[in-house]
This record gives sequence, structure tokens and C-alpha cells, in this order.
Amino acid sequence: MATEFHNLQELRHSASLANKVFIQRDYTEGTICRFQTKFPSELESRIERSLFEDTVKTLNNYYAEAEKIGGQSYLEGCLACTTAYLIFLCMETRYEKVLKKISRYIQEQNEKIYAPRGLLITDPIDRGMRVIEISIYEDRGSSGSSSGSSSTTSSSGR
Amino acid sequence: MPACAGERFKPSAYIPVATAACLLVGSSTLFFVFTGPWLAERICLAVPVCAGVVFFFVLANFTMATFMDPGVLPRAGEDEDKDDDLRAPLYKNVEVRGIQVRMKWCTSCHFYRPPRCSHCSVCDHCVEDFDHHCPWVNNCIGKRNYRYFFLFLLTLSVHMLAIFSGGLLYVTEHLEDLWALEATVTVVVMSISGLFFLPVLGLACFHLVLVARGRTTNEQVTGKFQEGVNPFTKGCYGNVKSVMCSPLSPRYIGKQRKKTPIKIQPPFKRPESDRETPVKIRDNGVQTNIIPNKAVEGVNEPDSQRLSTPPPLPPKPDPVLLRNHLAALEESLLYSRSSFPSAQPAGTLRPSLDPLSKLGPLSSREEVRQTMETIMQTGARTQDFSSDPNLGFPSSTMPLNSLTLNSRSLSLRHAHRYRDRPPLSSQTSEALTSTGLASQSLRLSPSVLTSRGSSLSYDSLLGPGENGSQRGLPLLGYQAPYFPLDSGGLVLGLSRGPEPQRHSPHTRSPVFMGMTRQSPQPREPSPVRYDNLSKAIMASIQERRELDERDKLTQRHSPAALGYAPDAGVYDTPSRRSLPPEGFRGPPSRGPTPPAYGSREFLMSSAAYGYGSRVGLSCSSTSSLSRAPRIACSSTSSLSRTPRNNSCSSTSSLSRAPRTSSSPLQSHPPGGITTQDRSLSPSYHSIECHLQESPSAMPYSPTSYATPRGLSFISDTETRDEPP
Repeated sequence: MATEFHNLQELRHSASLANKVFIQRDYTEGTICRFQTKFPSELESRIERSLFEDTVKTLNNYYAEAEKIGGQSYLEGCLACTTAYLIFLCMETRYEKVLKKISRYIQEQNEKIYAPRGLLITDPIDRGMRVIEISIYEDRGSSGSSSGSSSTTSSSGR
Repeated sequence: MPACAGERFKPSAYIPVATAACLLVGSSTLFFVFTGPWLAERICLAVPVCAGVVFFFVLANFTMATFMDPGVLPRAGEDEDKDDDLRAPLYKNVEVRGIQVRMKWCTSCHFYRPPRCSHCSVCDHCVEDFDHHCPWVNNCIGKRNYRYFFLFLLTLSVHMLAIFSGGLLYVTEHLEDLWALEATVTVVVMSISGLFFLPVLGLACFHLVLVARGRTTNEQVTGKFQEGVNPFTKGCYGNVKSVMCSPLSPRYIGKQRKKTPIKIQPPFKRPESDRETPVKIRDNGVQTNIIPNKAVEGVNEPDSQRLSTPPPLPPKPDPVLLRNHLAALEESLLYSRSSFPSAQPAGTLRPSLDPLSKLGPLSSREEVRQTMETIMQTGARTQDFSSDPNLGFPSSTMPLNSLTLNSRSLSLRHAHRYRDRPPLSSQTSEALTSTGLASQSLRLSPSVLTSRGSSLSYDSLLGPGENGSQRGLPLLGYQAPYFPLDSGGLVLGLSRGPEPQRHSPHTRSPVFMGMTRQSPQPREPSPVRYDNLSKAIMASIQERRELDERDKLTQRHSPAALGYAPDAGVYDTPSRRSLPPEGFRGPPSRGPTPPAYGSREFLMSSAAYGYGSRVGLSCSSTSSLSRAPRIACSSTSSLSRTPRNNSCSSTSSLSRAPRTSSSPLQSHPPGGITTQDRSLSPSYHSIECHLQESPSAMPYSPTSYATPRGLSFISDTETRDEPP
């Protein structure tokens, strides 16, 4: 926003955690895993709404795919039952495979989109699939008017 | 048996599971050793083989039910729960398929329990889709292991039936020699299986019904859906399918996932939308190179924006000075016209204001313009503003330009405020445009003004009576330098605007529309910046407004200086530290909300179990309820955002999260909530406490369960529920 004020020679930047936003679960369709796509106000000045919504919608789709009840999940259950569930020791369930995909996706999103904007998404599985935690980082330790701008924007996170 | 959150080792907890395991394994082994071979010979080899397969499944499901994580939710980190426990409401409503479901705050785990989640007091953690805590497997039955528990029951029933039948067959064939070893063992095994068969079969049938109806034991026992609708059911077939065929949910705790660290290095990108704001401003006919800034949108940023218009810009305003001046201004607006002359500093152009006074609130554009020109002519020669040496603005030379500029600035302010207004015409017809803008801004003013206090009410503007002409709008002091003849400059009908202004304290706010009287109070002059100053002024006006509102709210809601009325309910001021009123203290002061689904039966069941004993909760209900809509009230205090409120408003909040979740709270009158729910707010814990005390009152216990074992099983499961 105030990039024109930046004097690259003077900048000594470090990021510090300013705030965390929690995207809650959307229970309107029952207890399936879905997250709300409502854009939180703290991110107004940090990221484009469309990017955020895309991320959440993709995550929702992944979770829907993981929890889909169908032939594959039934066969998996039967197979597990017949082997006295020993198969769980050897094989990865479909849900776990999708979780790995989700984790890769979140990593990629963080690297490409969120980290350049000073944000960080935490995998919901670490929070018991209750919330998506987005950490907001602020520019700290920079000099000149850029600090003014960052303090301006950081007010949104406070 | 998973490790409990509490690290105490309780041997007594392992007795039921050890007993069950021993009985199961022991009896079955004896059966296969002593009775099996005879059955293989007498009937068919397939009989003991099938029994063996069934026994194999029984063991597998028993092991899974015992050792599998039921769906434990990890405790929330401290940063997730920004509010104090005292501040967040006890319940949060969420809508599931059109039905209001209540989520309760878990004091141990520090989050609002998702629907169908419950806290197991034995294991001391929240379990997703909590069914019950089974002592026979010493484990909670929840989302992940309910299928295995259900299959265990079914297979165990079949297995017991098979053993009993096989043993019966053997005994009938060996009646003459029952004291032989095999016969004795068979009789013992038969009696064990016969003894436990009926309770196990009863439990299996009970769970069969639960699965078909899509309920958990917890929901059935607490009578949640007795008269309500179950929002979680998917139809009989759907429910069975989801129990039997759904994929295995992942574990939430205990897994250490490898994470690649991500580097976050400033400078950070910002969204493009911030740069769009100046475009809108330009469309309003204002010639600017506006640097995008949040301050443009009316936030308190007095010094961060400037309009790069041709005239030289005065230095930045002093916000403190501006506020003082603003305070003085507002006071002055209440002064009568009679005191006006005496307060005028020397050289102010009182006569110049007379033409303005002739303007009524609905003056036409032309009238306004002519009046302005008159003022310009009469006041052109007087340079009154010595307070601001920087304002070397020869008003005599370009009064009209200044007017234009002022109008532009005004329209700029309004552009921020009323962005949906159509862009105004170009600057070519400046004079007309400016006055048009002015009057447009004037037209805007009523809506702005009426929201304000009395000193700025439109009514006061309309009535040019003894006070009407004295009242005006807070001075947008930037105009002062351009109308030095009326030392207050002209206020073009604005009470707010994003531009900061250095404001001469003694410049009043003669309203352009005819509220042209200057404030009678003498004020010391101060330098005036015609554009940036107004922002500071407006910011300070806003602050005062916020303070006023807050005060009003406090006065409305709490007669006491600090506190708030217990019945304030959803209208409590969020920013206020919700100190609970004396006499309503309970431990964590949370209050109940109206019952969620199955509300009527909820009330009934609560009353039936004598909920009144939950005094602590009910006493604190009102206070916490008043706190509840801390989130819901965010709109009223949106201007007075504290960091806490910000976090609240966004998320949910938890508690906060979505405001929709608090809307049901909002819809209830505070008094209603207080009176109704004090005695009737349902809580699993209280109900289960009562269940424990009066097992005979359990609604669902089937007649076949009249055995002590069945009852103890059920009452045991209920005892181990939520903590107080």
C-alpha cells in the first residue's frame, strides 16, 4: 500500500505475530467438515477476498471428498473388518490420504499466497478440525514512513 | 483403553473392562475347547468354525472399541480464546439444517463444543459425536469408534447366542453325566452367557434403534429430541449407511505431523483494492492524487492524507488542538444568537454572515451561490486569519477558488461517506459545481445530522429561531482561511468528513445553509489546513460521538456507574468490561440461552429433573447473558473498537465467531431470557446428575433392563459425564 515510501536501504524488517483470525466451522449442513467462507474483517487489508474464499472453498471440497460415504469407504471398512482391522497398521485410509493432500495444499497456499502477505494458515487438523487459524504477521523493525503505513494497517489486526 | 488426560492411574476403572475381557475370552475359549469338538462331530464342522469366526470379529471389535481414539478434540490454545472465561457466553447458537442447536462452552477445553460433542468427565476431554463412556471397554464411545462398539454389541449378541445354543445342545445330550468335566464346563459357560445375554441383547437393540434414528445415547438419555426434530438425521437408510460405511475419521491428537517451516518476510503485499479508493474520489470531480489510505474511509488518521491540490498546503494539524477546538465548537453551537456579537473577535465579518442567515435550509443552489458571492465580495478585503501565518492564502484574490476548493474538499469527504452517490460533474463549471456540491453536501447533512446529538440536529438547523441560527454544524475549519470575513468559515452542512483540519478554536461553524451565526465564543486562532484539518476534526467528532453513545448506553443499561443492568441482555455494551452485578456471582459467570432443538421437551425434561438445583449456573445466567451479545452488539460500538472487539467480531469467534450465532440471543428480550431460562436452561450435566440420583426416572430404560446390571451400566455411564 505504501510501498512507495520504502527505502530499501533503510529497511530492516522482521515479522512479528500480531493477531490470529479463526475461521469457524459451518454447521449448517450437519456435522460434516465445512468451514465458513465469510471473509473476516481483520483480513480486509491483507488479502483479496477472492483468494481467501478460494482457499476455504477448496479446503471444503477436499474435506467433502474425504468424508464421502460411498463404495470405496464401504469396501475399506469391510476389508478392515475382515482383517481384524490389522489393515490399519499397514495401509493408509482414504481420509488420511486426503488429509495429506490438504496439508500439501495448505503448504503451497502459504508459500505462494499467504506468506507474501504476512499471513499463515494453520492446518485445521492441528486444531481438531474446529477452526482454520490464520496468523497475521506485522512488519516490525522497519524504518521511516513504511513503519507508519504498517502501523496503520496493523490497526486492523488489533 | 486410551490414556486419560489426567495422569492418575485408577485401578478401579479397569475392573469392569478386565472382567469383561476375562469373561469373554475365557468363556469362549472353554467353549471351543470342551464343547466345540463334540459339536463338530455331532452336527457339523462348520458350526464351531462359524462360531470361531464370530468370536474373531467380537474380539476385533472389542479391541477397536477399547483402544481406538473416540474422536478426542484437542484443547484449544490460549490464543484461540481471547476473551476471558467470564466474558464469553455459556452457550452459542448455531443453525443446523434450519434448527437452532446450542453449543456449550467447555471450560476445560476452552472452546465451544461442536454440535453433538460432549465432554467426558472420566477421560477429561471433549469427544466428537459423544455417545457415552462405556465402562466395559473403559473408553468413550464417539465418532471414530462408535461403529466398532456397535458391531461389538451385535457380534457379541450373536456369539453369546451361539454359545448358549451350543451348550444347551450338549447338555441335553449329556444329561445323564452332567458331572463330567466337559459337561460341567459347558454348564458354566452356558450360565455365564445366559446371564449376560439378555442385557447385551437389550443394549444391542437399543443401539440399533439409535442408529436407525440417528441419535447418540447422550441425546437419547437427555431427551433432546423427544418433542423436537433431530437435525442430524439423514433418514433411516442414511443413518445406517453413515454408521456402517463412513470412512474412518482421523485422529486429532497424538500425531506429530512434520511441518515445513515457512518463511514470512516483510515487506508484505497488500491487496489491490486499497488503490481503488482514489478513483472513486476522482470521479466526484475532485482533482486529487489521493494516496490510498484507510483514513480516507473515516478512520482516525488525522495526519496521513493530503490532497495534492494546487494551493499550498498548511502544515499538519495538531490533533489535540483540533479536539479542543472541536469541543469548543460544539459548545458554541448551543449558544444563542444574542451572545454572538460579543464573542466575535475583532475584524470578523459579521455582516457577511447576514446574507447567509437569509438562506433557509432548503435554499436553492442559486441562492446559495449568490449568497456566497456576496460574502466573498464583502469579506474579500478583510484578512482576519492572522492565526495561521501559513495560510498565506489571499482570500481576496481567490475567494471563489477557495469556495470551489472547499466544496471539492467537502465533496471529497462526502465521497468517502457516500460512495454510492453518482460522480459529480467535472470541474469546468466550478462555481456552479462547487455550489452544487455544497448544496449537495448540505442535502447530505440532514441524514448526517439527525444521527447526531441535539446540537447538531437537523431540527436545530431548520428552526432559525432564537437558537436555530446559532446552531450549526461543527466547523470544518478548513474553510476558515477562505472566508476570513466570517471567522468561522463556512460549514457546508457537514458534521463529519474524513479530512483532518487544523481548526481555529474560535472559528465557529456558520452553516452554509443559513445557520450562519458564528459561535459567540472567542477562540484563539490556529492555523488552518483546508483539507487535512477536517479529517482530524471529523475524527474527533466521531470520537466524541462514540463517547456519547457509550455513555448513553451505559446510562441506559446501568444505573450504577460501572456496572450494567442484569437484564441488559443483548443490548449490553460490548466494550464495557462486563463486571457482573453483585449477587449474581456464580463461578464462571456464564448464562444459559434458550434451549435449542427440542426446546419444549428440553424444558420439560429439565424441570422434571429439578433443574433448580443448578443454582450457581442460574444465578449467573443473567449476568453472563448480558454479556453474551458482546458480539451481537458490536454494531453499536463499532466505532469504539477495542482490540478485543475486533477479534470478537471477526470470528467467531469464536464465541464468537459468526454473529449469526448470536442472533438468536439478540432476538430474545433480555427480560425474557432472564426469567425463563434461569430455571430452565438445560444442561447435560445437571440432568445427568439427577439421573444419577434417580435412576428409576430414566426415561429410556427398557423393561428388560430392570436388572441391576443394566441399571448400573446406564447410571455409570451417566455419572461420568460432564464436569460441573
